[in-house]
Amino acid sequence: MSAAKTTRPTVPLRILTAVPVCDGHDSAVTTINIELARHGIEVIYLGYHQAASAIVRAAIQEDVNVVGLSSYNGGHIVFFKEVVDQLTKLGSGDIPVFGGGGGTITKADERVMKRQGTDCIYFAGTSLDTMVAEIKRNYGLVAKPRARFKGDRALARAITIAETESLEARRPRRAGSAGEVARAPKKKPFVVGVAGPGGAGKSTLIDELTSRFLRNNSAGRIALLANDPSHPDTGGAILGDRVSAIYSQDDRVFFRSLATRGSLTGLSAAAPAAIDILKNSGEFDLILVESVGVGQESDPFRILGKGPPLVDATLFVLAPYYGGRIQLQKIALLAGADLVALNKCDHPMAHTARAEIQARLDQNSKNQKLHATTAAKHFDLGVDALFAAIARRGHLPVSAGGEKACSTADPL
Amino acid sequence: MSQLGKIADSVDAYNAHVIAEVARARTDSKFAADLRARWAKIHETVDWTVSPTGTPLPRLALPQTDDPGVIAEYLFGQGLPGGFPYANAAYREMYLNRLTGTGEEPMRLFAGLGLAEDTNARFHYLGTHQKSLRLSTAFDGPTLYGLDSDHEGVLGKVGEGGVAIDTVEDMTRLFAGFDLTRKDASVSMTMNAPAPMILAMFIAAAKRRFGPGCAPNLRGTIQADMLKEVQAQNEVIFPIDASLRFLCDMIEWCVPNMPRWYPVSISGYHIAEAGATPVQQAAFTLSNGFTYTGLLKARGADVNKFGPRLSFFLDCGLDVEYLVLGRVCRRIWAIGMKEVFGAGPKAQILKLHTQTSGRSLIAAEFQNNLTRTAVELMLSYMNYTNSCHSNSADEPFTTPTERYATLASHGQSIIMEESGVFKHMMNMFGGAPGLLILEKQVEKAILEVFREMDTLGGVLPAQEQRYQRSKIQEAGHNYEKQIYAGARPIIGLNKYKSDEPMPSVPLARTSPIKQRLQVERLLAFKKKNAKKAPTALHKLENVARSGGNVFSELVHTVEVCSLGQITACLTNVVGKFRPMV
Ligand code: B12
Ligand SMILES: Nc1nc2c(ncn2[C@@H]2O[C@H](COP(=O)(O)OP(=O)(O)OP(=O)(O)O)[C@@H](O)[C@H]2O)c(=O)[nH]1
Ligand SMILES: [Mg+2]
Repeated sequence: MSAAKTTRPTVPLRILTAVPVCDGHDSAVTTINIELARHGIEVIYLGYHQAASAIVRAAIQEDVNVVGLSSYNGGHIVFFKEVVDQLTKLGSGDIPVFGGGGGTITKADERVMKRQGTDCIYFAGTSLDTMVAEIKRNYGLVAKPRARFKGDRALARAITIAETESLEARRPRRAGSAGEVARAPKKKPFVVGVAGPGGAGKSTLIDELTSRFLRNNSAGRIALLANDPSHPDTGGAILGDRVSAIYSQDDRVFFRSLATRGSLTGLSAAAPAAIDILKNSGEFDLILVESVGVGQESDPFRILGKGPPLVDATLFVLAPYYGGRIQLQKIALLAGADLVALNKCDHPMAHTARAEIQARLDQNSKNQKLHATTAAKHFDLGVDALFAAIARRGHLPVSAGGEKACSTADPL
Repeated sequence: MSQLGKIADSVDAYNAHVIAEVARARTDSKFAADLRARWAKIHETVDWTVSPTGTPLPRLALPQTDDPGVIAEYLFGQGLPGGFPYANAAYREMYLNRLTGTGEEPMRLFAGLGLAEDTNARFHYLGTHQKSLRLSTAFDGPTLYGLDSDHEGVLGKVGEGGVAIDTVEDMTRLFAGFDLTRKDASVSMTMNAPAPMILAMFIAAAKRRFGPGCAPNLRGTIQADMLKEVQAQNEVIFPIDASLRFLCDMIEWCVPNMPRWYPVSISGYHIAEAGATPVQQAAFTLSNGFTYTGLLKARGADVNKFGPRLSFFLDCGLDVEYLVLGRVCRRIWAIGMKEVFGAGPKAQILKLHTQTSGRSLIAAEFQNNLTRTAVELMLSYMNYTNSCHSNSADEPFTTPTERYATLASHGQSIIMEESGVFKHMMNMFGGAPGLLILEKQVEKAILEVFREMDTLGGVLPAQEQRYQRSKIQEAGHNYEKQIYAGARPIIGLNKYKSDEPMPSVPLARTSPIKQRLQVERLLAFKKKNAKKAPTALHKLENVARSGGNVFSELVHTVEVCSLGQITACLTNVVGKFRPMV
């Protein structure tokens, strides 16, 4: 390897891991996730009990190098084939599928599965180191060609290219550079940046907002960008936001996880480009961007320098335990945010918090309304009101008289 | 309002009390005399027996001493078998009476494969190895997740890893030919999120066979422990508060209507199999149990009524802590229930089912699994588990095939019937110095975890913060790392390896023909009940919305509705669970 080559930042391998439908054996996959991330790989984890269609949708939107399945409850021959077939049908047959399932997947099964398109199986007793080394060797060097994809995969690939470019340039790039999908936008989406301290409930709230969007729009699409930190030493990451995003398992939702890859702004350096790509696609009515849950001193969506603003509005989410009135004064986003939500209103401290924060917002004299939400509660009226406020700003449809109970009864 | 800190304090206080009593026994001569008199009386009640080789033996092993300090330490610190704080055993004689035919037969073999009739055949086959009727049911993935066999994308999972049950008719086929109202019958079901639906189907099927008044005669256990599902086994359908409500509805219905039924089995097995250390297993399981107790009390239920209907389920692996885990858990449970929840004696006893560790069984040179299971069985019995499942040697590959299920059952019989270890004398090992040291250390570590969870606000807030899940995952990762680093010797895998290729073992799998048959049956059921189902579901929905007892309605709903229909209906009312990494 030449010296020039070694100084170039390595682009992390992206792998999607999941456990098949009706299967909750996640001990193997969580161990493997940790090991892969420890070795600099970006793991997008979808969770257990996942339908083939959900796995395929995630693989396409995340534009992963490879899909790893961990299957224990039997039926693996049928299931792996289903994933491979659906990927192929959707023009993404280039994404290999592999996996393991301890002793439940036999050598004889593997032969059948390989014939049907599965790449390889890791049997019981394979050491973790061997596995990681092989995965890096087999899937890490897959070139990411600027192949012409259609639909979500094209969007996803454009974002991948933007990620790679911004990693190499170490600065955010805006539209055009990865403009494969750039054309005259059919519609202009409303873009909301969501920020707030770690664990305040940003992801949960975004998912609940997604469910309201889907219910109030019979046809439109929503895009979600989830920024999560890369490990500072290994460069790997476990991007697990999809696990809890139960309403995002829908073809009308485009969900992309972005690891920060060393960027300290709370967003991936590629986030601005990714937002442009999504905007220019003309596919979406609403785009929600979640920043990493860090620092309260700055606004991750206010980018330095010139250019159009990154988002149309910012939503600041905080939880009742921010540490008292003095702390509130220091939170920059409270002054700047267009929308403020106090989440976890089921918390005993919520009552006091509500009054304190409203008082703080009144100081701004910007007529900011505080939305009190309990994202963890299903059908929360506070979330309904927050959605209505977003919809009003973004000129999105919202049914009058609030919401009716969830009508999708699919228990999956 | 976590009680965990209080519970930890109550155990410490009890330990201090024991130390004080021992000191008093040594200094207060009146107290010492009382203790000696009591001790002599206890000795008088012990019958004698003779081993087959002619050695006379007492039926209860007691410390051979008349030192009042030692007596006090034994009686208050450990308790007689069947006496507070129950470290030695839940009951006085445990396995001994098996021989005379009146005692508990501890063996319960978990079985489930294919369609209802296949599992029924397995039950009949296993039954030939047991005196009493012990049916323990494993369900397939779709059933565990509350889905019908015709749900999109699940066909390949139907009948795999357990039995497919969609309707009350399947349930009828599952137990065909067994008299479930027999006094010595006991049915257990490893079923969680859909436990209310499945138990309702069980009751409905039993009523069809044994008449409308049979429920009070039905004996058995349904797992239904939703907290460990959130923490480890990952079968949750409804949001946590709704899951807990449905569970409490079921418990409250069962306590008066099915007095012989255990409506929840508070389980550490899945926690340990997911990777937790023995201490974590015990701490999470006990704290979950105390949480249920608190929830039920808060709903106004009487701890002395529901307390005796709570049962427990622990894993037994090869790590040293397993020598005492059951003993320590019984003790902490008894003290906590008594001191913090005001429970009387019957509600203080932790009734324990144990399963040998599946995760300790590995694919490489898998015949060694027989030995591993045998050792774990010994440890389980040494902890005086009330019932026990032994895993089959083909565990890593498949739902047990007949051959290995038989060997697993014979393993229990060899230990219990061939060997003299548990036959003649009760409590052979309790009080051994090594056990006492271990008990103390393990107890201390469990209380530390209690206190840590207490600072997080208790079990439910800790769960929301992923405390249990992250601890379990970390320990699971560590376990695998130890194996591959060689720090945890596994014979045939990282030590004394032969070059044997991976064996090919017979597999129990469900053919596509059977899977389609199951779907056809379900469709026929749905067609037959097409008119009645919507009304029944509507009624159920109303009860669920109005906050009524959902279980008392489910008993009727299952007559005409499938599992999947009910799951969808309830999901509509309460929403879906949001999983965590
Ligand atoms: C642990 C375990 C559980 C735990 C799971 C906890 C959890 N959260 O994961 C608990 C106790 C909850 C459980 C429950 C059940 N289980 Co279970 N379980 C096991 C057990 C003992 C070990 C599996 C394991 O995690 N091993 C540890 C991993 C790290 O090692 P490994 O399996 O050797 O895998 C290696 C490779 O294959 C590779 N690998 C695995 N996956 C992947 C993925 C990728 C991408 C890669 C690269 C590599 C890879 O990595 C490993 C390291 O080398 C197996 C039996 C056994 N001994 O294997 C049964 C087993 C899998 N379970 C089984 C069953 C039936 C069930 C239940 C359905 C029982 C029931 N009816 O109620 C439930 C279902 C639970 C659910 N929600 O789905 C059956 C499956 C039978 C079948 N397919 O025919 C088995 C085989 C046991 C048996 N013989 O009956 N189980
Ligand atoms: N009690 C309560 N818990 C909530 C609520 N909203 C979210 N949570 C829980 O809080 C935890 C964190 O929620 P997330 O949505 O992941 O928070 P986040 O802000 O996205 O976190 P990061 O992305 O890690 O910064 C999860 O366990 C949620 O279930 C709420 O309204 N009430
Ligand atoms: Mg988040």
